Amino acid sequence: MTLQILLNLVIGMVWMLLHDEWNMLTFTIGYLIGMIFIFALRRFFPGRFYGIKIWSIIKLLLLFNIELVKSSLVVIGQITRPKLNIQPGIFKLETKLKSDWEIIMLTNMLALTPGSAVLEIAPKEGIMYIHAMDVAEFKQSIVRTKDLFEEAIIEVMR
Amino acid sequence: MFNYLMLLSMFLLSVSIVISLYRVIRGPSMPDRVLALDSLGYSVIGIVAVLCIMMDSHAYLETILLIGILAFLSTIALCKFIERGVVIERERDH
Amino acid sequence: MNVSAIIEIIVAVMVLAGTVLSLLSSLGFIRLPDIYTRSHAATKSVTLGILFILLGTFIYFWFMHGLISIRLLLGILFVFLTAPVAGHLVIRSAYRSGVKLSDTSVKDELRDDLKKMKQLEQYHSKEG
Repeated sequence: MTLQILLNLVIGMVWMLLHDEWNMLTFTIGYLIGMIFIFALRRFFPGRFYGIKIWSIIKLLLLFNIELVKSSLVVIGQITRPKLNIQPGIFKLETKLKSDWEIIMLTNMLALTPGSAVLEIAPKEGIMYIHAMDVAEFKQSIVRTKDLFEEAIIEVMR
Repeated sequence: MFNYLMLLSMFLLSVSIVISLYRVIRGPSMPDRVLALDSLGYSVIGIVAVLCIMMDSHAYLETILLIGILAFLSTIALCKFIERGVVIERERDH
Repeated sequence: MNVSAIIEIIVAVMVLAGTVLSLLSSLGFIRLPDIYTRSHAATKSVTLGILFILLGTFIYFWFMHGLISIRLLLGILFVFLTAPVAGHLVIRSAYRSGVKLSDTSVKDELRDDLKKMKQLEQYHSKEG
């Protein structure tokens, strides 16, 4: 993957040299053309085409932003309710992610999703303790978003 | 009109700072106070940003980054103090 | 209706939305019963509110002065990264220092496991 990115940068530089125009626009055009070439010749490189990874990063960020907006609306809805009846609680969740960076990303993202905040992590067993704002209401949705994030993170990191 | 709207939003942010201050003074436990101080820092960041728009100058944009870093570091230091009783641990102690 | 008027309207809407979000979440500071639920209000809505205000400022300086402020982008990224970490640390230290959950809580699966974890930690520190 590093090889592909480096080669793409070199193609952009060479395009800029050949045109003798030293600005960002020419470099970007050369970079895009290089990306098309590398995509066409992708079966001669070791590893996958790196554009797939960038696309999955963009997808993860989009998913995260949508969840952030949703969670803020949920919290505001709970706060502005005239009579407060919530049943907070702590429950366990298992995760299949292994390395430190993956777990850091998952906890950071779960902290900003609807009604959940990570209290404690036991990384060896792969267990997270999650405090939910309303256990009965949110447990299903928390488990669902956790699965979504896990798949997206695995796609990015592996 | 635009300036009045900015003034209004500044006023509302000040109100939210006052509410956070109530929690800082009154808070039943120590972590409550830390949390309220953290969110007070974020409200100050918002006020500085609105002030930049009102005065039409980008001189204060560094302050946003600075206040953010200070608020985060103070939160971490206070949390560690609450949990362990010390801020900087020495290797020799254990 | 020229361009700057439209930009002013967009910026005003974004800044006011962020302000209302952070005001409502600080209202949650008063109403919610214990620190764990308060941290939900502090991490989520405050982050989104500040994000809206900073994005409004960014758009204002971009279209009014043609200035793409890297500092402002760094500030947005920093708030995004640090707010959840700070919230996690606060509730973790609160739980470990023994702040009680509110009376309306229904479930606590951490209490027994934390005891085991602490015993393990003490055991390892004695050995090492």
